[in-house]
Amino acid sequence: MAKRYDAIVIGGGHNGLVNAAYLARSGLKVLVLERRHILGGATLTEEIVPGFRFSVFSYVVSLLRPEIIRELQLPKHGLEILPLDGTITPLDDDYLWRVNDHGKTIRELRRWSLNDAEAYEEYGPLMAEMGRFIKPILSLPPPDPAKLSPGEWLPLTPLAKQFRDLPRRLQTTFIQLMTMSAADFLDQWFETEPLKATMSASGIIGTFQGPRSPGTAYVLLHHYMGEIDGAFRAWGIPRGGTGAIAYAIAGAALAAGAEIRTEAPVARIRTQGGRATGVVLESGEEIEANVVMSSLDSRWTFIKLLDDSVLDPSFKREVLRYKYRGSSGKVNLALDGLPELACKPGTGEWLRGAISFSPSLDYIEHAYDDAKYGRPSARPYIDMIIPTLVDPSMAPPGDHVMSCFVQYAPYHLADGELWDDAKREAFGQNVIDTIEERFPDIRRHIVGHQFVTPKDIEDITGLSEGNIFQGELSLEQLFFNRPVPGWSRYRTPVRDLWMCGSATHPGGGIMGAPGRISALEYLKERRKGRRAA
Amino acid sequence: MVPKTIDTVVIGAGHNGLIAAAALAKAGRAVVVLERAERAGGILRGSQPAPGFRAPGLVHTVGRLRPSVVKDLRLERFGYSTIAPAVRMHAPMPDGSAITFWGDAARTAEELRSRSVHDADAFVGFDQKVRAIASFLAYVQVAIPPDPKSPSFADAIMGLKLGKAFRDLGAKTGREAVRALPMAVADLVQEVFELEPVRGPLCTRGVLYTAMGAWATGTAQVLLNDSAGTDGGAAGTAVFARGGTDALADALVAAANARGVQIRTEHDVVAIRTRAERVAGVTLADGSEVDVPLVVSTADPKRTMRLLDPVEVGPTMHRRGENIRQPGATARVNFALGDVPAFHGGDPERLAGRIVIGPSIDDVERAMDAVKYGRVSEEPVLEATIPSLTDPSLAPEGKHVMSVVFQAAPLGLRDGDWADQREHVGEIAIKTLERYAPGFGELVEVCEVVTPLDMEERYALTGGHIQHAEPGLDQFFAWRPMLGEARYRFLFDGLYLAGSGAHPGGGISGGPGTNAVRKILKDL
Repeated sequence: MAKRYDAIVIGGGHNGLVNAAYLARSGLKVLVLERRHILGGATLTEEIVPGFRFSVFSYVVSLLRPEIIRELQLPKHGLEILPLDGTITPLDDDYLWRVNDHGKTIRELRRWSLNDAEAYEEYGPLMAEMGRFIKPILSLPPPDPAKLSPGEWLPLTPLAKQFRDLPRRLQTTFIQLMTMSAADFLDQWFETEPLKATMSASGIIGTFQGPRSPGTAYVLLHHYMGEIDGAFRAWGIPRGGTGAIAYAIAGAALAAGAEIRTEAPVARIRTQGGRATGVVLESGEEIEANVVMSSLDSRWTFIKLLDDSVLDPSFKREVLRYKYRGSSGKVNLALDGLPELACKPGTGEWLRGAISFSPSLDYIEHAYDDAKYGRPSARPYIDMIIPTLVDPSMAPPGDHVMSCFVQYAPYHLADGELWDDAKREAFGQNVIDTIEERFPDIRRHIVGHQFVTPKDIEDITGLSEGNIFQGELSLEQLFFNRPVPGWSRYRTPVRDLWMCGSATHPGGGIMGAPGRISALEYLKERRKGRRAA
Repeated sequence: MVPKTIDTVVIGAGHNGLIAAAALAKAGRAVVVLERAERAGGILRGSQPAPGFRAPGLVHTVGRLRPSVVKDLRLERFGYSTIAPAVRMHAPMPDGSAITFWGDAARTAEELRSRSVHDADAFVGFDQKVRAIASFLAYVQVAIPPDPKSPSFADAIMGLKLGKAFRDLGAKTGREAVRALPMAVADLVQEVFELEPVRGPLCTRGVLYTAMGAWATGTAQVLLNDSAGTDGGAAGTAVFARGGTDALADALVAAANARGVQIRTEHDVVAIRTRAERVAGVTLADGSEVDVPLVVSTADPKRTMRLLDPVEVGPTMHRRGENIRQPGATARVNFALGDVPAFHGGDPERLAGRIVIGPSIDDVERAMDAVKYGRVSEEPVLEATIPSLTDPSLAPEGKHVMSVVFQAAPLGLRDGDWADQREHVGEIAIKTLERYAPGFGELVEVCEVVTPLDMEERYALTGGHIQHAEPGLDQFFAWRPMLGEARYRFLFDGLYLAGSGAHPGGGISGGPGTNAVRKILKDL
């Protein structure tokens, strides 16, 4: 006799858990099924080197929707976000250091360029305004442009009105952000290379594009939409690593009555007469439910978990041509002490924020060129933090953890070669070589390491091709085209099978919005169905 | 001397200037066209690389010229006729093979079949998709872009028309159009075809006359717009003006003259004067002034803005105008040849259209990488035509003239300058062509290079950009050249922009000139 639930959520990453929490809160009997022994997906803390806990994949948080923190009372379930202050860009014999103290940053920028210091005063507020303008889109299910019926567009009318009423300056900025390259966009404002390069870097994180690729300005904005306690563009790290977020959400879900099972990999989604009726685990166990919510990406959901015969061939083609192309890797280092920057010796507060290896636009663009032609960057862009300076609990006393986000590392290598142990090792060592150029004493401090290639991201988390956003954030894969054109509203062609992960609008990052909006959409439809019945 | 009775000045006697002038004259305006060069015709004006050889202007095909323009101006009466060979694009490969793209998609597919059944089958569908989306874009191209700030009744009508055109696509194609427009051309072709020799040449259509690479977002739109209203389909068009692009220029001049338009060459406008938010007239290089209430500029938008008093323009608008992107990255090379080059797989029938060197996506991308680092591509993307194959009058008997579009050759070089890179471009072109047409070098009698600096200086194209403004998604439709200035009226009452910097953009279409006049006549 199969067990029966109101809803099954496949995947115990942050979006799956958010979705489960919202469904459970409204009284549904919910079961979350996680393939691994540990929750979090790519929002994961794991002790890879004994005594050292790594935020294995995602490592900072800013995009997590405040309404989720509020509604799920995450602080009550243990979430504590520690602010991360500033970004330093080390150079050969100088550096550029921006901090949250505005006056200090302006003084630093004046050292480089009076123009840039002045432009920076305008730029920040402008981007914050843009962030506020676009924010409502983040909590809106996208329309289907091909339908053009008033019902589809109605939710957008206030937005269109709002756009019309924006000052021309902001309208222009909005269009530029949607279409331009990060470099072109920033070129209009600034002249200092390390400043432009470091700022443009947030336009390329997780994408397979360079700072001069049109469309990257949008990703810049995507990262500007983050807010912590109402402050835009603030980054932080959760105490206990990003995995702590997953566990706080899981706590909220459990408190609301959801069940969570780990080591319960789903083998397939059961369907009957074109509707999902439950899942079959790899163990053979069958579980029934009224609705199946998949927080996996569309390739995994439709190609791996569903019977071929259920899918319309043209829908399947759309799923198969969706672009993933993971472009990044991670290098996590366990250190027995703090390394020192050659350009700014000592171990002061500049190490407490982000350390960005982005001396010039050309540097990042060259890194992208390597990846375009199927090679990991010879000199990669690295975004590094040392979380133990903010949260010492991550390592034994006196020791440190260094978390390095590395781009580019293409999933698809030239000449059809595949990632293997030797290539992973070469990738990691090359990253350490690059770090050594700025931190000459780094190797002396390394007591353990973890090298993560896009293939590893895929193998460990299940993210297709190691794309951290469950599908590239390129213009044609956003909004109403996410995750499949025509199916942007969390539903799928299979009735009672829904999607709730980063693959859906508004996309990836530790945002949680897809998990929440999809749950609310489903609950709305369920109420409607009940009324009709 | 400009007669006193004139009430309209058109700046620039390029194709858009002549088309706009003729249309305004037809509507009863007294129009003078002021052109700084010695001859009217703008980028249609060609050269004589050697005695008896006539090379085209900065562009070598005219397939995008709107049929309505040909009809309205009765260009055929003024000697304009076209040659449209069956072949559209011949793409030789480094390995000695070649792929020919015909106007007839079925024929292309049939030839592809021996290489890849998959791609042969896919080609016809791809061609249909391009045609369907392009049919919608054809509506967009004739529309006067709306201004999101003041949605008027007319905009609503326009919106409905476009909306209907969009709905007519059907849900599936409509969704596909929305998905395809912002794509990179490399993605557009990669997801459909498996053979690089098919993908590469198609990709070149998204990057020619731009500074973008094949992986740049928005390049799919360049390809799709190129096929809009031209019956281009996947392979694009290859339509020549009989007698060369000069013949089209001559026909446009004659048609404008016949309408009573006065054309003054060597009349260089150095300032557009304004008074109280209105245009007052123009000032010429010799200091003389022409007072008119209507000035239509077909100069590029940045140049047009710079002709205005910066104080009147105001600092904010001035800064926005200066930020218009015009990264010219195209050079032109013309050859006088002793014979037909022996391109791989090319008999004269296959060489009669466009010959494209861009054998794979990576090759196209790599060629365009050079723009980012401010240098000339050592392995460029080339598009060549041999117009004398179908029009023997363009070269001495038995000989040929060949015109090459060369990318990338950015105006802004990091090292060296265009004085010493000119010859280098010619050498690279010959070296590259030698690989696809063995013995090419020996056929060359004369090699003539037009650098992007020449384009800026000789043709007054700011940034050396043939399309006046980069056709990226950030300078598109309602925000070309910039938001709020896309409805042809430009910065001041009575001043209009009617060149390629305005919607629907560059290419020999006459679209900006025609649309602008429609708007002017509505405003008057």
